[in-house]
Amino acid sequence: MSISNAGFPYLSLLTVLPLLGAFIVAILPRSRPNLAKQVALLFSLAVFGLFIAAWVAYDANGPRLQLRESYPWIPTWDVRFTFAVDGIALVMLALIAVFVPLVILYSWNEIQTETGVAPKRSVNAYFALLLALESTMIGVFASADVFLFYVFFEVMLVPMYFLIGSYGGARRQYAAVKFFLYSLVGGLFMLAAVIALWVLGGHTFDWATLTSVAFSTTAQRWLFLGFFIAFAIKAPFFPFHTWLPDAGGAAPAGAAALLVGVLDKVGTFGILRYCLPLFPEASRYFAPLALALALVGIIYAALLAVGQNDLKRLVAYTSIAHFGFIGIGIFAFTTQAGSGAVLYMFNHGLATGLLFLVIGMLVARRGSAMVGDFGGAGRYVPVIAGVLFFAGLASLALPGTAPFVSEFLVLIGTFTVNKTVAIVATSGIILAAGYVLWMVQRTVQGTTNPELAEIRPMRKDLSLREGLVVAPLILLLLFFGFYPKPLLDVINPAVAATLQDVGKTDPPPAAPAPQEATK
Amino acid sequence: MNNSVVLAANLSLPNLDYKALAPMLILFGAASIGVLVEAFVPRRGRHSVQFGLSLLALLGALVTVILMARSGRVVTTAGVAVSIDHVALFLQGTLIALGIVVLLLIAERALETGGPFVAQAAITVGSEADRRQATATGSTEAFPLTLFALAGMMLFVSANDLLTMFVALEVFSLPLYLLCALARRRRLVSQEAALKYFLLGAFASAFFIFGMALLYGFSGSVRLGDIHRTAVAANTPSTALLFTGVAMLAVALLFKIAAVPFHVWTPDVYQGAPTPITALMAACTKVAAFGGLLRVLYVAVDWVQWDIEPILGTIAILTMLVGAILAVTQTDIKRLLAYSSIANAGYVLVGALSFDREGVRSTLFYLAAYGFTVIAAFAVITLVRDEDGEATHLSRWAGLGRRSPLVAGIFTFLMLAFAGIPLTSGFISKFAVFSAALGNRGPWQIALVIAGVLSSIVLVFPYLRVVVLMYLSEPAENTPTVMVPGAFTSAALMVGVLATLVLGVFPQPVLNLVDTAALFQR
Amino acid sequence: MHALELPGTSTSALLRAAAGTSTVTGFQATFWLLIAIPLASAAILLLLGRRADRWGHLLGCASVGIAFVLGVVYFVQLAGLPESARAVQISLFDFINVGSFQVNFGLRFDPLSGVFVLLITGVGFLIHLYAVGYMAHDERRRTFFGYFNLFVAAMLLLVLGSNYVLLYFGWEGVGLASYLLISFRYTRPAAATAGKKAFIMNRVGDAGFAIAIFLMFANLHTVSFDGVFANATKLSSGTALAICLLLLLGACGKSGQFPLQAWLPDAMEGPTPVSALIHAATMVTAGVYLIARSNPIFDTSATADAIVAGIGALTLLIGCVIGCAKDDIKRVLAWSTVSQIGYMFLGVGLGGAAYALAIIHLLAHGFFKAGLFLGAGSVMHAMNDQTDIRRFGALWKFMRITWATFGIAWLAIIGLPPFSGFFSKDPIIVAAFDRPGWQGWALGSAALAGAALTAFYMTRLFVLTFHGPKRWTEGQHPHESPPSMTIPLVLLALGSLGAGALMATPVKNWLDPTVFGLPASTEITSVTAHLSETWVTVASLALTVLAALLAWLLFRRGTALTEQPAGPIVTAARKNLYGDTVNEVVLERPGKYLTRALVYFDNKGVDGLVNGLAAAVGGGSGRLRRAQTGFVRTYALSMLGGALLVAVAFLVVRLG
Repeated sequence: MSISNAGFPYLSLLTVLPLLGAFIVAILPRSRPNLAKQVALLFSLAVFGLFIAAWVAYDANGPRLQLRESYPWIPTWDVRFTFAVDGIALVMLALIAVFVPLVILYSWNEIQTETGVAPKRSVNAYFALLLALESTMIGVFASADVFLFYVFFEVMLVPMYFLIGSYGGARRQYAAVKFFLYSLVGGLFMLAAVIALWVLGGHTFDWATLTSVAFSTTAQRWLFLGFFIAFAIKAPFFPFHTWLPDAGGAAPAGAAALLVGVLDKVGTFGILRYCLPLFPEASRYFAPLALALALVGIIYAALLAVGQNDLKRLVAYTSIAHFGFIGIGIFAFTTQAGSGAVLYMFNHGLATGLLFLVIGMLVARRGSAMVGDFGGAGRYVPVIAGVLFFAGLASLALPGTAPFVSEFLVLIGTFTVNKTVAIVATSGIILAAGYVLWMVQRTVQGTTNPELAEIRPMRKDLSLREGLVVAPLILLLLFFGFYPKPLLDVINPAVAATLQDVGKTDPPPAAPAPQEATK
Repeated sequence: MNNSVVLAANLSLPNLDYKALAPMLILFGAASIGVLVEAFVPRRGRHSVQFGLSLLALLGALVTVILMARSGRVVTTAGVAVSIDHVALFLQGTLIALGIVVLLLIAERALETGGPFVAQAAITVGSEADRRQATATGSTEAFPLTLFALAGMMLFVSANDLLTMFVALEVFSLPLYLLCALARRRRLVSQEAALKYFLLGAFASAFFIFGMALLYGFSGSVRLGDIHRTAVAANTPSTALLFTGVAMLAVALLFKIAAVPFHVWTPDVYQGAPTPITALMAACTKVAAFGGLLRVLYVAVDWVQWDIEPILGTIAILTMLVGAILAVTQTDIKRLLAYSSIANAGYVLVGALSFDREGVRSTLFYLAAYGFTVIAAFAVITLVRDEDGEATHLSRWAGLGRRSPLVAGIFTFLMLAFAGIPLTSGFISKFAVFSAALGNRGPWQIALVIAGVLSSIVLVFPYLRVVVLMYLSEPAENTPTVMVPGAFTSAALMVGVLATLVLGVFPQPVLNLVDTAALFQR
Repeated sequence: MHALELPGTSTSALLRAAAGTSTVTGFQATFWLLIAIPLASAAILLLLGRRADRWGHLLGCASVGIAFVLGVVYFVQLAGLPESARAVQISLFDFINVGSFQVNFGLRFDPLSGVFVLLITGVGFLIHLYAVGYMAHDERRRTFFGYFNLFVAAMLLLVLGSNYVLLYFGWEGVGLASYLLISFRYTRPAAATAGKKAFIMNRVGDAGFAIAIFLMFANLHTVSFDGVFANATKLSSGTALAICLLLLLGACGKSGQFPLQAWLPDAMEGPTPVSALIHAATMVTAGVYLIARSNPIFDTSATADAIVAGIGALTLLIGCVIGCAKDDIKRVLAWSTVSQIGYMFLGVGLGGAAYALAIIHLLAHGFFKAGLFLGAGSVMHAMNDQTDIRRFGALWKFMRITWATFGIAWLAIIGLPPFSGFFSKDPIIVAAFDRPGWQGWALGSAALAGAALTAFYMTRLFVLTFHGPKRWTEGQHPHESPPSMTIPLVLLALGSLGAGALMATPVKNWLDPTVFGLPASTEITSVTAHLSETWVTVASLALTVLAALLAWLLFRRGTALTEQPAGPIVTAARKNLYGDTVNEVVLERPGKYLTRALVYFDNKGVDGLVNGLAAAVGGGSGRLRRAQTGFVRTYALSMLGGALLVAVAFLVVRLG
């Protein structure tokens, strides 16, 4: 394992900067919440800027892991602070860098006004936790040392636990504990696997080194399971999903957006980064199982989404369905499906994040997340209704919005190797239209709910601040809906490398066609 | 074997390596002086004198230990009764360090007028005299008693023959029995605890003697080394003697460790004893007991590990699971920590049972790390009080986070450490013992790790419940006030928390230390 | 912005071989503007918000008008090219590139798309113009025009895309626009529901379309028209059939053909201009475009063609039958749309030169159906949004322009010469009879019956609306609509009159190059297997006239004001032949129950399992706790027991 600390330490800085911000915000006087907000925003923007620099420094056609840094930590077990990113991680970092500032901006006032949040709660703490969360999330995606990854993977829970538990809505305690326990259960299985990996992998945690280790079939399968369970709970895949609706339903919309939009991606990312390259044989062996789970998830969660009456829970279920698509894309083992899955991880973050945020705006106004308490809200807040509708279209993957590209890639890539799975999954797009439009209809369309007239906040349409929150997301969704190339250029090589690890190649055309015909 | 020290006809004094024995001698000496202080120094001055004396003694002992360790000498002295090897030195150092921190808690008087102890343990509860001493300044015998206990423990971990070990066992147990009875509040519970501890402790000691007798019968010697040698040259008829002996010995040690099914005393005693003493037992007694167990396992009977593994393995699994499961429904924070300490004993056993250097190393690390964390936890408990002393019922902790965020934050951190969340010493220790066990690759070790994972999952419930109570639930009407900690408690708290954090983030120095320390001499 | 294809590359060579594409430079290469202009206008209208209220509608019209002018120019230029080169392709940028899946954001302007461009922008422009007056009193008129422009842009992308993914892109885009416009009055539950129904039923078709694309890629590793068509013959017959049927499913969804026809009548919840533009003239004909565009694949599978024709025939009958039983002016027109598109499907299903006939009928239909809808809109405008034809009558005196234009459109749709319907529909019937074997008889007679029924119900509609006694509700003061509405009516009427002339023009010949697969010179055969062309024409004319007369006799005295009890057939027809009922019983209700069941299962089953586990641990803990009695004797006993166990265990392990 080479310790080449090439160039500027982007990744470690990206990890440390928000943490620093968290400390500063935490020690700011509680009497001046606005200062805390401004500082928090400043730091998140600094992170964004630094990330842009990192993106520029990253060479899409360069080696698989770039921006590598490595410092010794616990030599006894050869644990190192090794940071490095491939295209997949880079895209995830982009999602974080874009999202956290928006969530901070979103939470500016909502965090006091939103339902269930006791005004006593410290505002500073909320923003400090957000930054701490950002730091851990960046770390988990940027680390190239299995031990380090595990550390971030676990520590990540703590800030989110308090974000849900202290600032959430009704049943927030139950939701927070459930979230923590579920993740920790997975984490402990993973811990056992991590240790076993270290024992069998020649007493090293360096990812790059471990990929070259050939584990015995049995070992591979057990280790795969250890990691997979943790990731399947995190993602979440059916049937490990029941914590998400509770968490997403109870968390404040900002935190929920981060939880479902970004944090959960650790699950699918982990599968791509650890399960597939480290345990190729096991990955192939368990692929049918994973595909089955993902497929069930798509249909099952979509139907459940139709049946939800709580807007946030509804969105949570829709994302379980979306994770089903990602799962299929990962385990189909074709370049289209793989790249589609990674792209999906990014797009789903934008779309679901936007959905959560705009729903949060509605909830903050109405003081309830129950669909029944809305109805015809579009009369009062047409613009918000419009944004909600757009977010809905994005999450049903309408062409022109980014998710279409990823979903289409996943399906077409899967189809080339497994027609049945692809066809069943495609039926999911019909259900998607169902739950989105049904939600939109019950919320903003139809006869106006008379109660809304009494509630004064409902008369206030999208504010400038809220506009600044949603506008970037909408623009990104549209831009990548028409021009996904910038992302795909980064993703494709990484996915190709991963598939090479798994030892899979795309099938040739079933009916032979001259390659010229592909333009 | 007729020339063995024990049976020597002419009782010529065996040569003593005073340098090696210095730490223990210092503590014993200071303790004896402490008794005199009680006799001669006027009451007002006693507390400060006793505290100063004890602190100096411990610091001195620590220095001598460090010097000894630096010299790198490994000696068997007092004939062959005491073996000051690397493990012994590390454990002695750990004991002293933990002892210092506990001493601070014992010395704390800011929280309660007259300190955590009463003057006389034996007064009938509720009697006139008892009511009087409830407000009077408490005893200062606690200091010499503590020193005796610590010295005994240090001897225990370095004892090279069973007889010395037994003496040491009693030397450090008796003061603890007494200390348990000294709680200022809830006298009755305190006395009950002391009595239970004493009776069961005596019972356990009986097993120890019985086991020793059998082993003597087997090998004609009480020296661990001799037992080992006799057993290795094993065309001996009576392995039954050997194994029953080992079993009896194990029972006694497992009692001190509080392993299932010998754990029953733990919750009651931990609850009843004055919290500083609970801390002493949870931290130091564990270290001592495991020190003894390790020595017996690795020096005397290591060659039969294949026979020992299944039995101790089963016990370890039971210990982890029962401790964890019972912790779930506890409603008293001290009992909760008692059960968590039982479960933790199980984890230490996981390390100890891998029967290799890795195992020793991880066990030593675990003991040190856990000691500091648990002391800090009990230190927090001493702070949460209402009109009748410490409010240990969990329901009283609701909403504490709102009343005093700092204390609640610290306790949350400690809970996360117990739960084994990374960046705390708890995680590193768990990782160490599990990796040691898996590194051994034996079937039993794998089973142990799996049980460890499962029990850790269960244990997260109770820890999280406390956190939920403190933060997420609204404060109850009469949430107890958190006392402003006196200098001593704050110091103890700070040390404990820092140790937990540093050992979690930069464990390497200590890992290096245990690495060099993980060597027994036979 | 746009990268032109390099001439001489093997790619373009192949294109020339396949479709006679010419790589273009200069002005013609800018035809992406056709899409860009309405799109930009839509963006402006929707983003500027109230600020654009005053001039928004004008911008909306202008953008489409400009697009039309440009369209004409491009079309003329295209016509100027040699027949072999009448397909212009430009590639704007790489859309999706992953592995062998290479999708270019490329556009293709050839006669087929050209004709559609003219229809969409031309008729579209007239309807925009009409909407200015029609929506004058609506406070959300600007938004309406935004959506309208969005639709035009999407529809143009649909017909101009040079590969199936872009076609799908536009396909879903028009679906979105249609949804937005159907539920434009979203506070009316009926409107919201109708929009949702339309979108979801379309999605069913879209899913089929998507899978068809997957099949193309899986088998040919290309999704571009040229690539697919050049290799269509390489497909195994099974695969080809599958692709065709899946495309057909998509087409049925979009064009309201059986079995996905149920959404189209409900779509009339939208404002009348919407019904005219989207649900009559343009969007609903996208299915025809899809099949016509994909003809090289369909040509490889006779079965597929037969099924398409069958679906067309069946649907045209369904449409007519239901049309006869409806009393809502817009619904009658909606069902007539269904049946007219049935004719087009029949046409494309017949294959060969009938493709061209279908397209021509599509154009003619675009004119007269738009005219009919706008006329209906004008009537409703006059009658305070009354839509029940039983409540009209004698309107011809009050709104002569509307009456005249509506009349022309009526004659056109029932297909009397010299109106366009005759020239476009009659050849399809002829071609249907051309079909050898029983198919010819079946399809032909269905088409013939359809013609008669159409004549009947359209005459009924016309008579009841404009003639006979007044049957108005109170307080009606009918009046002619403003010029902004009548001018488009007149123009469309002229169109309905003249569209038949298209048959005389070389239009159908230039449509042939797109219908590659058969030589461009092919003429429609007049020698038929069953009946000679003249006989068919005579028969259809006779039936039409008779049916019209019958309707006139029945309804010139007006009709009952309320629904009368009727025989099973009429009742069934009134209930849309139970199409909705079937959907509800087979899909909606089971879906509802399934959802409820799953919600329960998720809470009690999956989640319950986990919580149950936790509860079990707690329970075990409680039970174990009782062992902790607090009595020393119990403790001592347990220790003793433990000690014995340990000892025994040791001995067992060692000696046993």
